[in-house]
Amino acid sequence: MKRSLILCSLLAVVSVSQAIPRAATPVAQSAASGSAEEYRAMINTYCAGCHSTQGKAGGLALAGMNFDAVTADAQIWEKVVRKLRGRLMPPPGAKQPEQQDVDKLVGWLETRLDANTTLPKAGHVPIQRLSRTEYIAAVKALVGVDIKTKDILPTDVSVEGFDNIASGLSVSPAFVEQYVEAARQIAKQAVGDPSLDSITYTVAANRGGEAMPLGLRDGAMRFKHNFTADGEYRVNVHFPDGTLGLYTGSLENEATLVFIIDGKVMFKKPIGGVDDLMLNNRKAGDGRAQIADRFRKVTLQVKAGVREVVVGFIDRSRFESISNQGGGGFGGGLPTFDNVEILGPYNPTGVSTLSHTLIYVCDPKVAGEAACSKQIAQTLAQRAFRRPVTDTDMGRLMPFYEAGRKDGGTFDKGIERLVAAVLASPEFLYRSIRGPEGARANAEFALTDYELATRLSFFIWNTGPDDELLKLASSKELSRPAVLDAQVKRMMGDPRASSLVSSFAMKWLGLSGLESIKPDQQIYQGFNDQLKRDLVTEAEMFINSILLEGRPIVELLTSDQTYLNDRVARHYGISGVNGSQFRWITLTDKNRAGLLGKAAVLIRTSYPDRTSPVLRGAWVLDKIIGTPPTPPPPGVETDLNQRPGDTPKTVRARLELHRASATCRQCHGVIDPMGLALENFDAVGQFRTADRQAANSPIDASTVLPSGLPINGPAELRAYLASNPAKFAQAMTEKLMMYAINRPLEYYDMPQVRGVVRNAAKDNYTLTSIVEGIVRSDAFLKQGPPSAGTAAGTRVAANQ
Amino acid sequence: MFISKKHISRRTVLKGAGVAVALPFLEAMVPAATAMAQTAAKPKMRAGFFYIPHGAVQFDTKLGPEADAWTPSGSGESFKLNKITQPLEPFKKYVSVIGNLDNPAGAGVHVKNPGTWLNCGSGTTIDQMIAKVIGQDTALPSIEVSSETTVQQAAGNGTSTAITVAFNGNTPLPMEYNPKKVFNAMFGTTTPKERVLNARESDSLLDLILEHTKALQGQLGAGDRATLDDYLESVREIERRTSIIANTDISGMKIPERPVGVLDNFDQQVDLLFDLLTVAYQADITRVSSFIMVAEGTNQTYNHIGVPDSFHPVSHHANEPDKIARVVKIQTWHMDRFAAFLKRMAETRDGDGSILDHSIFMYGSNMGNSDKHSNWPIPTVVVGGGNGRMKLGGQFINPAQRTPLSNVHLTVLNKFGIEQNKFADSTGTFSEL
Repeated sequence: MKRSLILCSLLAVVSVSQAIPRAATPVAQSAASGSAEEYRAMINTYCAGCHSTQGKAGGLALAGMNFDAVTADAQIWEKVVRKLRGRLMPPPGAKQPEQQDVDKLVGWLETRLDANTTLPKAGHVPIQRLSRTEYIAAVKALVGVDIKTKDILPTDVSVEGFDNIASGLSVSPAFVEQYVEAARQIAKQAVGDPSLDSITYTVAANRGGEAMPLGLRDGAMRFKHNFTADGEYRVNVHFPDGTLGLYTGSLENEATLVFIIDGKVMFKKPIGGVDDLMLNNRKAGDGRAQIADRFRKVTLQVKAGVREVVVGFIDRSRFESISNQGGGGFGGGLPTFDNVEILGPYNPTGVSTLSHTLIYVCDPKVAGEAACSKQIAQTLAQRAFRRPVTDTDMGRLMPFYEAGRKDGGTFDKGIERLVAAVLASPEFLYRSIRGPEGARANAEFALTDYELATRLSFFIWNTGPDDELLKLASSKELSRPAVLDAQVKRMMGDPRASSLVSSFAMKWLGLSGLESIKPDQQIYQGFNDQLKRDLVTEAEMFINSILLEGRPIVELLTSDQTYLNDRVARHYGISGVNGSQFRWITLTDKNRAGLLGKAAVLIRTSYPDRTSPVLRGAWVLDKIIGTPPTPPPPGVETDLNQRPGDTPKTVRARLELHRASATCRQCHGVIDPMGLALENFDAVGQFRTADRQAANSPIDASTVLPSGLPINGPAELRAYLASNPAKFAQAMTEKLMMYAINRPLEYYDMPQVRGVVRNAAKDNYTLTSIVEGIVRSDAFLKQGPPSAGTAAGTRVAANQ
Repeated sequence: MFISKKHISRRTVLKGAGVAVALPFLEAMVPAATAMAQTAAKPKMRAGFFYIPHGAVQFDTKLGPEADAWTPSGSGESFKLNKITQPLEPFKKYVSVIGNLDNPAGAGVHVKNPGTWLNCGSGTTIDQMIAKVIGQDTALPSIEVSSETTVQQAAGNGTSTAITVAFNGNTPLPMEYNPKKVFNAMFGTTTPKERVLNARESDSLLDLILEHTKALQGQLGAGDRATLDDYLESVREIERRTSIIANTDISGMKIPERPVGVLDNFDQQVDLLFDLLTVAYQADITRVSSFIMVAEGTNQTYNHIGVPDSFHPVSHHANEPDKIARVVKIQTWHMDRFAAFLKRMAETRDGDGSILDHSIFMYGSNMGNSDKHSNWPIPTVVVGGGNGRMKLGGQFINPAQRTPLSNVHLTVLNKFGIEQNKFADSTGTFSEL
């Protein structure tokens, strides 16, 4: 992700002028004229036939609505606006208004809806516990310990794809048990346990998977090891039978094994070659033991901390890689190793980790144990609880230090128990909004500065507030608009803002859970899990480069630049990219530009054995246009598969059924065209002009949108979608707002959403400008009474 | 894992920590002399719920009743199993298969199917209701596992009603798919000795949590207080569990080797989870379990039985004989693994009989025809002697009219001594069971 700053800003300038047509002014501002009568006539002509008082299609009657008091039926009109924006209504097959008339009606309605002053300003967000992702980030920030998600905590429930929505964050005994256990384990790691440990790391079965430092050949491994104290560590390398067992054919070739810790070569020794081969021939088992001994109990001096360890063989030439000299069977090939065992620390001399720096804010030898333990508790608890620490807090926490000090016999043991107690406390695990002194539960109130710091920090960083935010909260300056703006700018520039990509964007776009998708390897030979991971990495780095480098978000659709490594490049048919490291590249193929050309997206929206224009169309409608289609009704037969005996048909031909049936067509007439334009990409995202599964019939990616606009192929679809950046910005803003305030949006939030989008227009809709708008909105700054957020049936705006 | 209302006073118990407690019964692994079976006064009932998504191939495909691979016929001597149910043959006297069941709450939608299987849309699921009655004296009142992540795109990407079959009220209980974590929940993360020490250490943390939470509640509104009540309830359940652990010396037990994590081979992964459940029942670590054998909407492939297709897409078989045959293969394989588990339950001595004699296990899906996404007929098998409360002999029960699935649930609840007249949309009980 590192490019020169100059290049970066240059690109931004170039692409802004290319990608943003000046017609980007929001609809609401440009087309709000016309009289109520005119629009009533339009609704009567195009809608009221089905949405009549008797017919009530979809449970909605539009005939007889009061056009003079739009705000009185805000909930219904928001629904109408959403359907019209996505052009989901009137359904294909029915009489269609002109696009400009639709835009005018939407603009007129939005202007009135946005002028409504009677709406609740903020919904109610109940108390919520930290999600697994937040917990991990918070622990990292608090005590500097990296924990592995899946090993330690149960999976969270997601609401509309996000795991940070308050109503979904329930607890069960399994959850409590794992969190308490986690608190203890983390405390142990944070304080540094210099007791002897041994951990074995095994080379992944999928050799050559992960990117390795240049100069190492396939068969290397990379892992993070927590060196718990400064001291001596011993390393044992174990070789497989094929190298140092019964079959020693691979000893014929000399190889050099290296040990690299945090980029520094710590150990380097050859194995194999003429001498070792002779040794083996002369002394057999004893000789091999002698060779193995060179790689046993290798001693290394390492400073405490989580360090990256790489073990591998130096690459001598392209020819000498395992892939080229597999050997296999009884001989040949190159030496390999199976696993690496790290033992230690021996003779620990102390602990100097990030955790130590974060926790030990004083030296007990200087300050005295009693004073220092209190100071540590105070600092830790304030950061963990995200508020000032009270005497009551101290009264509850200090006994843990004292008990540990007494039982364990050392100051460190006391601190360890204290850390565990802080992490186990519900004040850390839960965040709640109580408002200022005297806030009434049944009225709207503004968040306190501390609550604001917490919400802001979890929004942008996925973790609790840092010392600067807490300081501004304590002086009550944070809520001042200028200070708040400055903090948003600072936070967006911090590396922690990458959580907006990993926890927000990837989940919003549905790209984070790709491991459950398994393309059929009989059809897509050569596709494997490593490639899938690389494709997700490509998508994530690409999204990062747009969202966090201040570029207009519409470039998510249009940018012809991306990050590739050799595997992804091969998959895309791009030559000249060597090595597994990702690098910044400008694409020449127009079809590949933006998200719609990313294989991760195209795989996400396919079945394992075929493409699905339906899934792809629904994805475009939901993510890019912001109008998710309604899910199919139960009891529908889905006869789209090939039948044996029939002449194989393309997916497109099989989809014709959707157009033949009037019922199917109502929804699929909108969904399918978007997906059909992407038919040039197969189910693993490779470009194609013919369908291998349908007797090589040529791919036809031409289609006509409900508005009558003809589209042919991915590039034209992209150009169409990118021509209305405001629409895309609103689709994203809605989701980002939900993510920011930890609740699904309600109809009354929509005027604020549109306000954020309008304000971001002058910055060409950069992520920062949208984040700023959200942070300044009432929905973000305030808390509504409990009844406001939970009324049944008010989720119209977000869902329909 | 369920929440018990029975709160053992921890302090009094902890004082006695270390005092030898009678070992749980683990016939397969513990020397016979220490077995509890000889002293056990009265056999305990067990319950288990085994979920398979995407229905079963029954009479309602377009190929007609000839293609039905699920539905058995007859009863007693003439009880004849079908292709998918064939693996149950050795235990057929314990088996009842029930037809014509309907569950409108599932609505034939993947996102709702798992979460409405055991409650028919009514909140707390029957496994948890049963655990409240028979699960109070074991370290784990119930165990919830799955063979793979239940977060699947085709089933709502992690929506609560898709990720679990077990609910306590509205709280979804996570299904653990990492065998290592299941093992840790059963035997702890360390040596048995350290486990006791850790339990005591956790205990003081739990005290702190309780105290802090109550203080926090005092400052909150009613809704937020209720949220924290749920939390408190879970904390108390862990206290109860911790006290049992702190007082149970398992150092004499031969504990199986700790699994390393999720296995790459799906078939081995399924078997490993069945192994863990077997040990959990044998060692009386739990008496109630639920197991999602493969996730709703899964893309899992079955190359080990010659089916390279992903389960969910191929379950939309489009009435094509070739695809139907592969779906049947998958469904038969799952039944076969369930039968292997039953075999061990039948072989494990438990008081006056086997664990199978004292158990009621339910196996089924919450969808009828996967190609149509229908919520009828819901394929359902009930197996086990139920401690003398189940009618033996083997039978296919085929009610004349569409019958709510909840009638089965109500019947099972009654067998476990939960006397109520109605459950969800039930209209009665099955006297045949």
